[in-house]
Amino acid sequence: MDRLKLIVLWLIVGVPLAWGVAKTLQNAIRLFA
Amino acid sequence: MSATVTGRSDAPGIGAPGFLDRARTIAPPGYNRFLVPPAALAVHLSIGQAYAFSTFNLPLTKLIGLTQSAPDDWTLKQVGWTFSLAILVLGLSAALFGRWVERAGPRKAMAVAAVCFGSGFFVSALGISQHQIALLYLGYGVLGGCGLGIGYISPVSTLIKWFPDRPGMATGMAIMGFGGGALIAAPLSIALMDHFKTASSNGVVESFLVMGVVYCAYMLFGAFTVRVPPDDWKPAAWVPASQPQKLVTNANVHVDVAWRTRQFWLLWVVLCMNVTAGIGVLSQASPMIQEMFRGVLPAAAAGFVGLLSLFNMGGRFVWASVSDYIGRKNTYLVFFLLGIALYAAVPTIGRLGSTPLFVLAFGIILSMYGGGFATIPAYLRDIFGTMHVGAIHGRLLTAWAAAGVLGPMLVNYIREFQIDHGVPKAQAYSVTMYIMCVLLLVGLVCNLAVRAVGADRHHGNAEG
Repeated sequence: MDRLKLIVLWLIVGVPLAWGVAKTLQNAIRLFA
Repeated sequence: MSATVTGRSDAPGIGAPGFLDRARTIAPPGYNRFLVPPAALAVHLSIGQAYAFSTFNLPLTKLIGLTQSAPDDWTLKQVGWTFSLAILVLGLSAALFGRWVERAGPRKAMAVAAVCFGSGFFVSALGISQHQIALLYLGYGVLGGCGLGIGYISPVSTLIKWFPDRPGMATGMAIMGFGGGALIAAPLSIALMDHFKTASSNGVVESFLVMGVVYCAYMLFGAFTVRVPPDDWKPAAWVPASQPQKLVTNANVHVDVAWRTRQFWLLWVVLCMNVTAGIGVLSQASPMIQEMFRGVLPAAAAGFVGLLSLFNMGGRFVWASVSDYIGRKNTYLVFFLLGIALYAAVPTIGRLGSTPLFVLAFGIILSMYGGGFATIPAYLRDIFGTMHVGAIHGRLLTAWAAAGVLGPMLVNYIREFQIDHGVPKAQAYSVTMYIMCVLLLVGLVCNLAVRAVGADRHHGNAEG
């Protein structure tokens, strides 16, 4: 139960952050394109 | 690394404490401390939106004209003040409410920060719909700024208490969220404005309303899930160093005593110089790369700004974690020495025309800018102890407010002065880079001057 809570909590903050990082990297590629 | 609560849980006290009270947030025995950082991250990822406020700058200057600015539209300068005001209020509110945050506990503080930050968006939306810039300043600048300041410091001392063995890593994790918030907010703002755009509106009001609700809810999630350790708690199998290290105290210094010490003001200058050097570049990153390198288009320059944000975010976690091993003073020593070398090398890199080297140099500089923010709470904890670290950190953040004004002003004015005196645009940044070296040198000297606080200032020994 504790492990599940740990995974859920980290996903709640990790998913938006990963989305933001992916979007940023997508834009950054233009710099070297 | 995993550790659970082994200490005795304190009784909540006489009478029923409210849901937001500190007593209701004390973790039960067996609580996994890695459940706490997501709460801190939720708050910092939200308030980090401030770094992406500039995505609203242009749309806010076309509220009437829609496709281009009408004579009655706000100017970019007027809109630009909103962010400056928010950062200024961040520093002031962190200093002013630091002691209250320590007393009230992280849950109440985070909830207040959520309400302030969320309502800041709502008041701003009203101001935008009525075209009253004073309401935008009051909403995002003052109310939002209070949310930023209280939210920024609210999880810091809690994390330091949960991770006495790795305070740098713990605060670095939370403060990394502040850097990462911009990475989420920038594409989110653009997507929301696109979604709500109509023939008669550019969608800013609706975007502000949605962001107010989303950020308030996300920060409340952090407030509801945060826990503090019992007073006598320590990680399982962790033994505090019996031989105290030179700059790491086991004693505590009261906030009212701390801010009168030489060490506080030395660290104030250390943070101010490190932030001034980074923030000046960050504010001018897009025009700088376009003017120093021919052929870099605005879209690519935006990619460069995004990359800097990534380095800013990553540096917060990496450098703060490294400081747990090499010490805070040495970490800042690296920031200042490496920073001076890189700033001094930038004009040469510009002349060589190497974009990858330029990006790498500024990436490392921005990683140290973020690292400076993330390492300072642990530095304060080493020097002044854990008891009032949140409040002391709050007062030290006035250095950020000062740097927020000083950094961009230095870069802008020196650049304009150079161009007015006939220096080509591509070379107009050289003097700025050398001035940044001087600022970092001042920071280096102050960092080297930091010594342990005398025992007469420790809590219980001092008059305060």
